[in-house]
Amino acid sequence: MTLDWWGLSLQAVNVLILVWLLGRVFWRPVADAISRRQEAAVAMLDEGKALQAKVDVQLAEIDETRRGIASEREAILAEAMATADAVAKATLRDAQTRADTLIGAARTAIDRDKHDARKENAAKVAELSVEIAARLLGRFSSSVIQAAFLEQLVEAIANLSPSDRAALTASETVIEIVTASEPEDVEMAGIEKAVKNALGGTPGIRFVTDPDMIAGLELRQAHFVLRNSWRADLETIRKEVANVD
Amino acid sequence: MNSVLDSAVLFQIGPVGITQAIVTTWAIMAILVIGAYALTRRLDLRPTRRQAALELIVATLDTQIVETTGAAAAPYRGFIGTLFVFILAANWSSLVPGVEPPTAQLETDAGLAALVFVSVIWFGIRAGGFRGWLKSFAAPNPVMIPLNILQSLTRVFSMFVRLFGNVMSGVFVIGIVVSLAGLLVPIPLMALDLLTGLVQAYIFAVLAMVFISSTVEDGARPLCDPDIAPSPTKKDS
Repeated sequence: MTLDWWGLSLQAVNVLILVWLLGRVFWRPVADAISRRQEAAVAMLDEGKALQAKVDVQLAEIDETRRGIASEREAILAEAMATADAVAKATLRDAQTRADTLIGAARTAIDRDKHDARKENAAKVAELSVEIAARLLGRFSSSVIQAAFLEQLVEAIANLSPSDRAALTASETVIEIVTASEPEDVEMAGIEKAVKNALGGTPGIRFVTDPDMIAGLELRQAHFVLRNSWRADLETIRKEVANVD
Repeated sequence: MNSVLDSAVLFQIGPVGITQAIVTTWAIMAILVIGAYALTRRLDLRPTRRQAALELIVATLDTQIVETTGAAAAPYRGFIGTLFVFILAANWSSLVPGVEPPTAQLETDAGLAALVFVSVIWFGIRAGGFRGWLKSFAAPNPVMIPLNILQSLTRVFSMFVRLFGNVMSGVFVIGIVVSLAGLLVPIPLMALDLLTGLVQAYIFAVLAMVFISSTVEDGARPLCDPDIAPSPTKKDS
């Protein structure tokens, strides 16, 4: 067995050439394809990461905006609540004022009604009292009382001014002497005489009966009345009582 | 009398006798190169099944290189991969009737071993420089220099003898069985020869890679590296 050195060298060169050729047409192209794909994958991953980072930033911005919206919403709600509270307080205050006004008006009306009622009651009481007094005094219609009233009438005529007395006596109109009950002739003459003396003249005298007077003597002319009776007194008392607050 | 291991010269080119093994080698080279060119013409970012298969081959080779050496695969891919593919194709060429595999001839295996020998030197110098390559003979310590020099020759010789012996024996066995038992009986042996051819190609490529990486690492490592030869005290502690 011999070793062909030329053949050995040629085979070595053949394999060396094959190494070079396969390196150019197989190993390197395939390895480059793998590298390109890996680079593309890395680039896509980087792009994805960049996109993810961008999305994260946008999400953070959105979260920030949401937080801003939430805080703004809370501020608006707080402002609205404050406004509503102020409006409610103002409305309550207004309502309170109106209620106070209404209560005041009602109290005033109640006081007025009470006052009117009291006045009305007082008037009724006075009328009732006058009626009671009139009935009670009606029992005392006697000559003594009549004389007392005549004396008071004469005194009242005397208290008139001379011009008034002169006007009464000079008037052509008849002077009416009003009594509660029709007096007897003697009493009439006495009364007429006393009145004429008090007036200081001789005017026309006529007697008129008015039972409402209860008791008393009054002078009446067309434009003149001189009251002097229990009815007039009671009426005066009743008016005074009615006018008392 | 001519040895049965001798290859008949088909024709002569100057002083070089062209044997059938050389012609078969050229044919294998042509098929591999043309086939590789045809397969890698349209590589795209979106791989087809064909491209995915090619990338799977390259990725598997890279993984083997990385797992064997721990270094980057790119500088060794072309040499180791071509060695594997060529030896595999040469071993399996015995399936073609009338074709004797080139690896069954001494010259082819010796040429491959010589290439590995030269590539160890080449990669050693390229990685650590000439001094680094020389320093690789002094690993783990300078006492080992004669043994390392002897080893660098014998390991390559053993590679070439192993490949030659396995392939040649397979061819011989099949030839003997064919001559004795007819046409169909050698088929199981031929199947076994396929497995043997694959294993031998793998062993040759892996051993080449181991020799290269060993030289590269020894050239880059400082002398008397405690990690390589830890002291007993350190080990015991």
